Amino acid sequence: MSDTSNELISWNLNGEVVQNESGMTIMEAAKAHGIEIPCFCYHPGLSIAGNCRICMVESNRSPKPIISCSERIAEGLEIQTDSEKAVDARDSVMEFQLINHPLDCPVCDKAGECVLQDHSYEHGPDRSRFVEDKNIRHTKELGPTIDIWGNRCIVCTRCVRFCDEISGTSELCVVERGDRSVVDVFPGIPIDNAMAGNTVDICPVGALISTDFKYEARVWNMDRTTSVCGGCSRGCNVEVEALDGFVKRLMPRENLDVNDWWMCDHGRYGWRHLYADSRQVTAQTTEGSVLPAEASKALQQTLESSSSTGFLVDPFMTCEELHLVKQLADSMTGSRVAGWLPADGTEESFPGGFTISAAKYPNRKGVEEIFGADVFGSAASTLLNDITSGSVDTVVAFVGGHGFDGAGAEWNAALSSAKNRVVFTTQQGAWSEGAHLVLPATAPLEKEGVWINEDNRAQRVRSCRSLTDQNFPSELVILQEVQAHMELRSRSLSAAGVFRELSESSSAFEGHSHSSLGDHGTPLSQKPAAVGSEGGES
Amino acid sequence: MSFRKIFTQHIHEEKCHSLSFYQKNGGYEQARKSLHDWQPDDLIETVKAANLRGRGGAGFPTGVKWGFVPKNTDKPKYLAVNADESEPGTFKDRLIMEKNPHLLLEGIIISCKAVGIHHAYIYIRGEFVFAANRLQNAIDRAYSEGILGENCLGSDFTLDVTLHRGAGAYICGEETGMLSSLEGDRGQPKLKPPFPAVEGLFGCPTVVNNVETLANLPYILEIGAEAYGKIGPEKSPGPKLFCVSGHVEKPGVFELPMGISLRTLIDEHAGGVWKGRKLKAVIPGGSSAHVLRADECDVDMDIESLAAAGTMLGSAGVIVMDETTCMVDALLNIMRFYHHESCGQCTPCREGTGWLEKIAHRIAIGEGRMEDMDLVTEVCDRMVGKTICALADAAAFPAESIVNKFREDFVAAIENGGSPAWIKRHPASTGGAATHV
Repeated sequence: MSDTSNELISWNLNGEVVQNESGMTIMEAAKAHGIEIPCFCYHPGLSIAGNCRICMVESNRSPKPIISCSERIAEGLEIQTDSEKAVDARDSVMEFQLINHPLDCPVCDKAGECVLQDHSYEHGPDRSRFVEDKNIRHTKELGPTIDIWGNRCIVCTRCVRFCDEISGTSELCVVERGDRSVVDVFPGIPIDNAMAGNTVDICPVGALISTDFKYEARVWNMDRTTSVCGGCSRGCNVEVEALDGFVKRLMPRENLDVNDWWMCDHGRYGWRHLYADSRQVTAQTTEGSVLPAEASKALQQTLESSSSTGFLVDPFMTCEELHLVKQLADSMTGSRVAGWLPADGTEESFPGGFTISAAKYPNRKGVEEIFGADVFGSAASTLLNDITSGSVDTVVAFVGGHGFDGAGAEWNAALSSAKNRVVFTTQQGAWSEGAHLVLPATAPLEKEGVWINEDNRAQRVRSCRSLTDQNFPSELVILQEVQAHMELRSRSLSAAGVFRELSESSSAFEGHSHSSLGDHGTPLSQKPAAVGSEGGES
Repeated sequence: MSFRKIFTQHIHEEKCHSLSFYQKNGGYEQARKSLHDWQPDDLIETVKAANLRGRGGAGFPTGVKWGFVPKNTDKPKYLAVNADESEPGTFKDRLIMEKNPHLLLEGIIISCKAVGIHHAYIYIRGEFVFAANRLQNAIDRAYSEGILGENCLGSDFTLDVTLHRGAGAYICGEETGMLSSLEGDRGQPKLKPPFPAVEGLFGCPTVVNNVETLANLPYILEIGAEAYGKIGPEKSPGPKLFCVSGHVEKPGVFELPMGISLRTLIDEHAGGVWKGRKLKAVIPGGSSAHVLRADECDVDMDIESLAAAGTMLGSAGVIVMDETTCMVDALLNIMRFYHHESCGQCTPCREGTGWLEKIAHRIAIGEGRMEDMDLVTEVCDRMVGKTICALADAAAFPAESIVNKFREDFVAAIENGGSPAWIKRHPASTGGAATHV
């Protein structure tokens, strides 16, 4: 987080003259030249503590080794990262870090993604000169979601600084002194804030452990999906980590335009609904269940027998799904489209600049972009009236999200009163009971496509379900099959293909593609450079 | 010019700490002059010319330090008086505060005038209850007599002095650790730069001076920089308080010119090594200094001479050890202190101090190995110069020098199954020598 300016500084890194913007720290500047200096206490999102000392390098300006996380580059500065002095300084710190560390990697949840483990392989001694008993520090609960294994703590204070600077809640502190130092909470005040889970992510060792993930999986066995959280309209970039097809945890993914390095605990732990007992997993009609392969046919028949159809979309659907609904609706005379919104929660803002949006859905902007700004307004009240009055005889409703409340009381009642009802739903409930046709919907983390967050940033979401045995085709597949049955489409496309159609047919999406959005997304208004030039995957 | 005591001249007289006594002996005259007659820059130049070196331990030139404070700043400037005297073997500032508190206050007024400071904090060690009470009474009295507060001593200068009691942490004697503690944070040293002169207490320019340093100021103004510079050696002149403790007949604080010989200090002023025994070792500048063997003690007690002898003047806390001292026990004693007092912030110090204590303990109880002596040296090497503050150095210097200068004690403890004191307490352990490989 240094204040860089455009002025270039010439300095010497390992014998080569290099240039970087003034104001950069040695560590950042060296990284720009491909030299990674190890660190424990440094985190780009936090203030500089300079306490772990592992990043020491040799400087021509100081008889002692200096810490590269805090010292800035300067004209004429000569830095050696691998001289005898630098290596000795680094090795010294590694030896000290390890003497009291329990080295319990085989039973530690952090193993495999542990900074201490990585640096130990690279810089640590292969045996210990420490023959005494190791220090014992507390193992205890720090809050409802976080435990501490004090023996593993290297007192880097990243978690303490996070709670001071980012969440602003200051629950954590270091207690005791010297090698008895350990992270703790103030008696009776547990760490319990909506960003607490991040402290576990940034812990460079296995000291802070998420009770939700404890003993769940060895991290190297998990499959990772680069995706976006659907918990609110902020759209935090995440990795979805799954073992044998089952999601085990969500981790924030760095995106300085959206969520920095963080995510909130609502999103982090908000994936249990994927495995709820009430999850809708098969297609059903009033007569009985429908085979996956027959589902699209059943939907097509319902639509074709309808004289006027209303589509009720939700803000969890991807732009691709919405585009397919739009194509269907456009092809059917007398059809109309409206959307429902889940009730707002509360907005939570944190001193570090992170905000949890009150809008607990990920793609309102996308729905409005495709169906117009009144899709949740006048169009919705019209459709509501038309259903209750019976002037719409068939309604196709999408009830996604975690889905425990259906589409909300008002819509649920209206849906029940519809003559013909097709419901794509994630959970079973009153809104799907007695429906003409019930189809399983994909939940947010299972979708493939694009969401547009509250800042109009288009971001790709990827399905964690492709990793599992996919027991039912997604909306993306079913809707395309219906279109094929209705001879609106000659072949089914991937999400990327449907998005291409969308970008060709809509000026708002024009120029964007899945590959141009990359892993970090792009503001919808910021058109990428022409295909073939730079600006593709970031 | 004969040597005149400035700190301890009257300490045996009744009421020597009172304002009336102090003023009767010319007290606050120099402060008055500095407020009414002196220009700040002239004060700084005078202190620079006098070559006053900081008495806290590092020996940094005081006038130069004052010069680092930015002249034009919108922020308030502060003086933080380091009265957290916690270096083992050091008890000189305590004497000044208990017996001569107004001398300190006068020094504070002069330095604040020189740097343009209107609020001084005195951070006093928590254990100094008596000194804190005396000092607070002196401050209260100075306020009521118009010496402190608005219009100090009839000038247009305003100066507030706040006494803050620490909670007994050694690390709060480190200047930035002290500032953290004053700010209400955990007493941990801060990264430098920025240095306190630029960004110190509450993020404002701050001068940090030791009690004894400030107590020199009235005398410098009284006799002039030139005369002051002639007391003792040229590079570190002035009267100095030496604390002598340990195995001497007459331990205490001795006010002598800088540069007095260590032998003279011990043999003449402190009455020599006690019980007619021979000298074995001396730590000349508080426990953080390299230890001197008896044959290295022909050295003058000033900054340059001691540096040339491979140790330091430090806080001038002279710890004398006689021939019966087992240096293994001495090492354990000192390491226990640094292990206890390490703030735990930087890895080398947090882990190294504990490790050194554990090694020393092992050797002392007869579980030492011959390679432990080299291990101590290597651990010390790995600690020195790798941390935010000097506490790691302060632990490593005595450890490394004790082990290497008194190897025979360590060999004996390893071979005989522990230090003599341990063997005496645990006779059964004798003979179990060097079983660890």
